[in-house]
Amino acid sequence: MASVRIASPRDVPYIASMIAQLAKFERLADACIGTEEQYRSTLFNAPAFQGLTVLLLEISRSSASNAAAGDCLASQEVEIGAEIADPDKDFFTSDSGRIVAGFVLFFPNYSTFLAKPGLYIEDLFVREPYRRQGLGRILLRTVAKEAANRGLGRVEWCVLDWNENAIKFYQEMGALVLPEWRICRLTGDALKAYGT
Amino acid sequence: MAMASVRIASPRDVPYIASMIAQLAKFERLADACIGTEEQYRSTLFNAPAFQGLTVLLLEISRSSASNAAAGDCLASQEVEIGAEIADPDKDFFTSDSGRIVAGFVLFFPNYSTFLAKPGLYIEDLFVREPYRRQGLGRILLRTVAKEAANRGLGRVEWCVLDWNENAIKFYQEMGALVLPEWRICRLTGDALKAYGT
Repeated sequence: MASVRIASPRDVPYIASMIAQLAKFERLADACIGTEEQYRSTLFNAPAFQGLTVLLLEISRSSASNAAAGDCLASQEVEIGAEIADPDKDFFTSDSGRIVAGFVLFFPNYSTFLAKPGLYIEDLFVREPYRRQGLGRILLRTVAKEAANRGLGRVEWCVLDWNENAIKFYQEMGALVLPEWRICRLTGDALKAYGT
Repeated sequence: MAMASVRIASPRDVPYIASMIAQLAKFERLADACIGTEEQYRSTLFNAPAFQGLTVLLLEISRSSASNAAAGDCLASQEVEIGAEIADPDKDFFTSDSGRIVAGFVLFFPNYSTFLAKPGLYIEDLFVREPYRRQGLGRILLRTVAKEAANRGLGRVEWCVLDWNENAIKFYQEMGALVLPEWRICRLTGDALKAYGT
């Protein structure tokens, strides 16, 4: 059973580890410098969906841990072989007995063209042993469902132009991959200098 | 000589904001995509304190010494060389009660970088009305946002640019911004959003 719940400060070790793994996947490991303390102090300052929100995807096998957590947003039976090689399984098994397999982190954004708020997904990640089995789709669908139910205008995110698996997945779900827009970023010394 | 000043917008400014958003959409060749109404802007743009949520700043030009007195909510002001002979057909519409002419705006909201573990600001719109372009006014708006971000210890200020907007790309690179070549924006909206979330 795959289930999605809202993360809490107790989940910071899992989140920090997965963020580092995501950075490595994106070939940006050197850029990832956040600490657990920083995540604890920045990720949990708003009610879910009204500000920055982190959702975790967990896998459970036993009937005991299959009882959905009180804060379960979505659950779905999935075909995941018990023989999956997951070297980090112990680390990612929480007190509930469920295995944390992925996460999604997003925050409200706004479209002036629609005059409506939306949601921007900053990170979507499934741990390597659990990929290509529809788990990313469950996370994304949970976010899209909340957005649709709340009358929001859009759900947006970014993809690296060489991530062919992801691009294909996103196009098949009906998302537009916009070819003309480029992200601009002012940070570090350039930010300090320009703002002076 | 004229004075350019930046202030936080209020609901009274919605007619200016709505008009400028429509002009921005036309510039971006996306006029058909722009369907917001003044009522929608009034109900969605002013629900959070400035810089803590969605924020709109206006840039105004004033010439007379009377209106040069900075508004109480002025965030930045700078003398600029703007000729009095500028042809601005919409000048009357964009002249507010204060006598200042609304010449541009910037709209942004908080975002977050998991790599830095810090909040930042994302600029959704940056716009200067056509008669007032190429005179450094966009720079004043952008600098105001960057200064707030730097003062608040935020990690980044981010925005997007269309790959054919050479003037803007050059301006952004010269100010020290990175223009990231590998990332593409993905968007789930309309019927696809409703369908996927069901």
